[in-house]
Amino acid sequence: MNILVFLKRVASSQEEELKILGEGEAVDLSRLPFKLNDWDNYALEEAIRAVEKEGGHVIAISLGAKESDDVLRRAIAMGAGEGILILGEEALFDPRLRAIVASRFIKKEGFNFDAIFTGVQAEDDQFGTFGGYLAGILELPYVSMVVAIEEWGKGYVLVRRELEGGLMEKVKVSLPSVLSIQTGINEPRYVSVMGIRRASQIERKIYESSLYMEGVISSIEVLKWSYPPKKEGAKILPYDIDGACRELLQILKERGVCQ
Amino acid sequence: MSYGLIMADVRRGLFDERNLDLVGFCNVLNIDPWLILPKGAYNVREAYFKRIIQVEMGEEEFINPLNAVITVKKVIEKFGDPFALIFSASSSGMEIAPYVAGYLKSPIITDVSGYQKESGTLLKSLYSDKVFASLKIKGEGFFVITVRSGSFRHEAREIEENTIYEKLEGLTRDERRRFLGYIEEEKQEVDITKADFLLSIGRGVGTKDEIPLYEELASLLGATISGSRPVIDKKWLPKSRQVGTSGKTVKPKVYLAMGISGAFQHVSGMKDSECIIAVNKDPEAPIFQYAHYGIIADMHKIRDRLIQILREK
Ligand SMILES: Cc1cc2nc3c(=O)[nH]c(=O)nc-3n(C[C@H](O)[C@H](O)[C@H](O)COP(=O)(O)OP(=O)(O)OC[C@H]3O[C@@H](n4cnc5c(N)ncnc54)[C@H](O)[C@@H]3O)c2cc1C
Ligand SMILES: Nc1ncnc2c1ncn2[C@@H]1O[C@H](COP(=O)(O)O)[C@@H](O)[C@H]1O
Repeated sequence: MNILVFLKRVASSQEEELKILGEGEAVDLSRLPFKLNDWDNYALEEAIRAVEKEGGHVIAISLGAKESDDVLRRAIAMGAGEGILILGEEALFDPRLRAIVASRFIKKEGFNFDAIFTGVQAEDDQFGTFGGYLAGILELPYVSMVVAIEEWGKGYVLVRRELEGGLMEKVKVSLPSVLSIQTGINEPRYVSVMGIRRASQIERKIYESSLYMEGVISSIEVLKWSYPPKKEGAKILPYDIDGACRELLQILKERGVCQ
Repeated sequence: MSYGLIMADVRRGLFDERNLDLVGFCNVLNIDPWLILPKGAYNVREAYFKRIIQVEMGEEEFINPLNAVITVKKVIEKFGDPFALIFSASSSGMEIAPYVAGYLKSPIITDVSGYQKESGTLLKSLYSDKVFASLKIKGEGFFVITVRSGSFRHEAREIEENTIYEKLEGLTRDERRRFLGYIEEEKQEVDITKADFLLSIGRGVGTKDEIPLYEELASLLGATISGSRPVIDKKWLPKSRQVGTSGKTVKPKVYLAMGISGAFQHVSGMKDSECIIAVNKDPEAPIFQYAHYGIIADMHKIRDRLIQILREK
């Protein structure tokens, strides 16, 4: 069982202010911390568990600038056998272009794999397209939002995928196939700083993305970045903790949910 | 006039309201809404569609992305290129749209929530709704999009002419992926959809060790505890307590959200609450756009002070 896992290094934005530069030309990420995309951490853990059980190995692949090596080292520390960086200084923002590059890379380098895992979506661009698009190009079966892998069979895998409102569906897909993994499918293992340092000793291969870009250009263009359209917005309660709490309790009382 | 090919968002015999967003999108772009639909008796609002193409496939086959490729290719073969292929940003559309796009190597933009006529740009959110991008599609040929629920519904208009009906038959099936059945969530003792007052906690809670104190706060307030997805994923609260698209949709009298940023998948599960109060240390958190009242503070400090006041009572 060989699994390719795609890992994206993303800006951790949940607790940071995102400043838009100039007249909407760009988002300033220069002061943000970066990390492995949350969804991909689950995908990686699931791939490692699969090979621990079934044998084989995990190859971690990232497309991005040289800093993306961070997520590869982390992957190796977690248990991936190999790390590969497809180096492209220009961010491949267009989902189509990105998946074409990845598909050409996979075909050209002649990988032998049973499954490709991706996260459901990247925290930054939130396209949620990469796995599906890649599967489409490669003409492989695809299942998204996988919340459980129930059985690796001979030439197939049984999975559960998540739908709305707590409902799930059970799906059987033939291998090789592409699965996009949803958060919560497992509890990703802990990796220590020491472990990551040790992983650095294992060489990561680097390929130039330009090798796989012949004849394709980006099909989307960002004309402008903007802050979210403002709605009515909240009435902000006082800044001092005690005052805010007392007003909050008053509101709860008026609403009749708390004495 | 060129047409927008809408792949119906259907599940277990229901034609989802979200389909109206797809009609609205076509109306805004001034293209004819065409619908493709599986076999079955759906309560389609037919007057919205210029053409309805019923596919000779059962629902589960129809929403299988591998078969969707076969269907779409056939429609295009028969009727020519559409202006756009349009899906819901739902569990089905999120799966089928990129697959079909990849197969046809078409440009794709997902989770579109707005359109600017003058510039011809599509609006899409990034970074959990903290910023938006106005995007333009370049090149020739049709594009694929998924549309955010609720964003174009109000633009949906009925057409004046009669709807044209077609049948699409003789399609092959791709057997490499098979639907085996639905699995319902296990029944839990507490039903958060019935609670009048929810205290909902998000990733901002930080660690599992903080949870018991929020449970204490909930019990002092007489609130039921619920959470956003990351808290449920980490198993700090049971799955039955999850609010959002893949969890529960709730409409309590009061929804008190602490340490929740306000990503769309969460917001769509609680935005219709009668009164929303958000506690977040980030003044720019999108949740404040939906809340009626906001407190910009460390949630733990608010919790501790509330517990103190309530204990003294
Ligand atoms: C297909 C799909 C389905 C999904 N379904 C759901 C769903 O059903 N429900 C759901 O919730 N999500 C769902 N999500 C995930 C969703 O996109 C977001 O990732 C999630 O809602 C974020 O949860 P959060 O707001 O708790 O965390 P974050 O976005 O990380 O936000 C944490 C917030 O806490 C604040 N904070 C941090 N520390 C403190 C502190 N000490 N005091 C006060 N504030 C603090 C931060 O400023 C931040 O705003 C789904 C995603 C996908 C792709
Ligand atoms: N630049 C990248 N490098 C590696 N994997 C990526 C990259 N972009 C997207 N992916 C994978 O595709 C998934 C979905 O990303 P997206 O379609 O951008 O939302 C992510 O969770 C990753 O697994």
